[in-house]
Amino acid sequence: MTWNLKIAVWTAACAALLVALAAPPAHAEVKKSSKTADVATAEKRKPALRHAKAQPAAKLAVRVDRDGQAEAQLIDIYKLIGQAKTRQALPLAERLVREHPNFQLAQLVYGDLLTAQLGPVRAMGNVPDTTAKAAAQPLAELRRESQLRLQALRERPAPGLLPSQLINLSAQNKHAIAIDTSRSRLYLFENSSTGLKLLADYYISVGKSGIEKTIEGDLRTPLGVYFVTSNLNPKSLKDFYGSGALPINYPNQLDIKRGKTGSGIWLHGTPPTQFSRAPLATDGCVVLANPDLERIIRAVRVRTTPVVIAQSLKWVAPQTIKADSKPFEDALKAWQIAKSSGDMTRLMSWYTPDFSSNGKTLVQWTPALQAEIKKLDGRNIELKDVSYMRWTDTNDTMVVTFGELAQGAKTGQTKRQYWMRQGTEWKIFFEGIIG
Amino acid sequence: MVTPTPVLNNMFALASNLTSTALKALCVAAVLATGAAHADDYADVNILVRAGKLAEALTKADQYLAGKPRDPQMRFIKGVIQTEAGKPADAIATFTQITQEYPELPEPYNNLAVLYAGQSQFDKARAALEMAIRTNPSYATAHENLGDVYAKLASQAYSKALQLDGGNTGVQPKLALIRTLFAPDAKGQKPGTNPQSSAPVTAAPVAKAPVTPPPATLPPVAATATTTPVLASEKEIESAVRNWAATWSAKDMAGYLASYGKDFDPPGSVGRKAWEDDRRSRIMGKSRISVKLSDLAVAINGGKAVVKFKQAYSADSLNVSSRKTLELVKAGERWVIVRESTG
Repeated sequence: MTWNLKIAVWTAACAALLVALAAPPAHAEVKKSSKTADVATAEKRKPALRHAKAQPAAKLAVRVDRDGQAEAQLIDIYKLIGQAKTRQALPLAERLVREHPNFQLAQLVYGDLLTAQLGPVRAMGNVPDTTAKAAAQPLAELRRESQLRLQALRERPAPGLLPSQLINLSAQNKHAIAIDTSRSRLYLFENSSTGLKLLADYYISVGKSGIEKTIEGDLRTPLGVYFVTSNLNPKSLKDFYGSGALPINYPNQLDIKRGKTGSGIWLHGTPPTQFSRAPLATDGCVVLANPDLERIIRAVRVRTTPVVIAQSLKWVAPQTIKADSKPFEDALKAWQIAKSSGDMTRLMSWYTPDFSSNGKTLVQWTPALQAEIKKLDGRNIELKDVSYMRWTDTNDTMVVTFGELAQGAKTGQTKRQYWMRQGTEWKIFFEGIIG
Repeated sequence: MVTPTPVLNNMFALASNLTSTALKALCVAAVLATGAAHADDYADVNILVRAGKLAEALTKADQYLAGKPRDPQMRFIKGVIQTEAGKPADAIATFTQITQEYPELPEPYNNLAVLYAGQSQFDKARAALEMAIRTNPSYATAHENLGDVYAKLASQAYSKALQLDGGNTGVQPKLALIRTLFAPDAKGQKPGTNPQSSAPVTAAPVAKAPVTPPPATLPPVAATATTTPVLASEKEIESAVRNWAATWSAKDMAGYLASYGKDFDPPGSVGRKAWEDDRRSRIMGKSRISVKLSDLAVAINGGKAVVKFKQAYSADSLNVSSRKTLELVKAGERWVIVRESTG
């Protein structure tokens, strides 16, 4: 009958959507539309749903939200829609919005499934034309969020592959985080004796104006290799930050070298009114749904958990990474030998002329290095728990962290160096003690 | 009427389904056997309801129920009175009880849905309507009501999705309340014509554009009859029906209501005024309506005509295809609708 026919039309459209997502999305278009109304959208998305959260709040408190659970339910619903089973999908959507009334994308899908019981659903978010006009921006954002969530789940990194930045983590780095902003996705890894393992991945939001933060207030999320610097008590935070916040060390030494400004880049949660936020919604922070953030907070360690934020992660085999970083490994070894030799001239050749250590120029810093050599008194240095991560953009850099001990000593200092490749030579442009 | 209405189907379904238990069989037998006598009681109460004398109606219903406490029809009417009297909690209790004892009947479920929707409990309204449809899949009123509830729930979900205000303040859907459990037999219908209106079929045919709504008083138009009288009548009738659909689609209330004769018998035993109000709120509440007719079959019998057709109704996001029957009579120069039914 007519009903089946109509549903079939939408299903076909939906299946097409699911399939079409494998193809690269129209980046330029999306960026343009997202940029034009950032502020207006943020305003629209913020005040909200007083009625929606009011009643179920008590019930929600009892239920423990597992990370990624809501998205998994959403995907189950999409799968049923893709199989033309809109009747079966409807109760699942009903349950999802009952559990998460502030999950806007789920509400949109629920609305579509109700509409599908009446007639054809032509597009995701089949709202009346007047609503589509009045809320064009939030509608476009929800469609984009949907697309990104589906895409990240359809295009999984192949098992065993790792983001190219995570070359060599030490036993100190129990976990690592890598973010692919083009996919609005955060990947959480566990590091063990057998190497890095992908634990989970989550939808995230980044800056309203996108990425490549350069100056304070540009509403962009920085790209680079960072570390979690603290874990803020959620009780000390405004509701806006949700279940917690993990500040990262933006600007890092490479950013400072490049003159980048700004501060207060955090990984944080969502306000009570929103389960998740639009793909481009923040002032530069990385925002996750509260259950997802809570999982990350449980995993991370202040100072040792790296957070790599890249426009697009390149997933490569660990052996390939190792091979590629052989020249750097050799350079690090050579620097270690130079320092052990006590030969200042030889040692100084490893540092760039524009070297800087917390405001000190190479000339100003040299006496401190000399003092260290003197203290070593002919002993070799040992490097413990060496980790290095590679960041390549217009420059090729390494962020290196290690414990430095004089031979035979029980304790030493944790140091961090930033290296940059100049032609075939690796040189140090920052060195400092981090704890 | 050739095809039985859904309500009549229900009655037969009731008769066959309820014979399972002696008590229920007895009850139904009572309803059916002494139907005529009871019909008078029902009609009396309904007249009071229509006249707005709700307290009197309730008293009379209670008197009747004192003797026959399980009578489903009178309890149903009592539920309608409680609804009209603004006592939704009482009405919900009444209808709920009927659904428990007669789960085969779609009407009490439908009315429960109306009450729940009135309290903005759209999920409950939806569940009740789904029950109504489960008991009678071709129950048009429940389908239409469910469509409205789905549309409302969808609109609420969309408002939450897009964080628009008005998720709760939007237009409340006006669901159709069923007035009686067993609609009067079509044959028992009071004649929809009066002597003046049943003008001879051969009356001067009127050439009129099908889309223009007929003015309340039609100015005399020069007769330009070129076809045979019967064919002319058939064309007139078809034109009147198409005009009715066009005014409905155009949300032209004046034109739409003018398509109905003054002897039009509204479905259920609702009064003309209440019916008009209901139609107005239903039609004007939609942002877009499209009514398309196909497979028109016109049968003329003197000054009366029966038109059967397929009606493709679509409003906002609701799409319903159904069979419809209109009975028309010639009133002066015009053919007007005196009865409208689904099927």
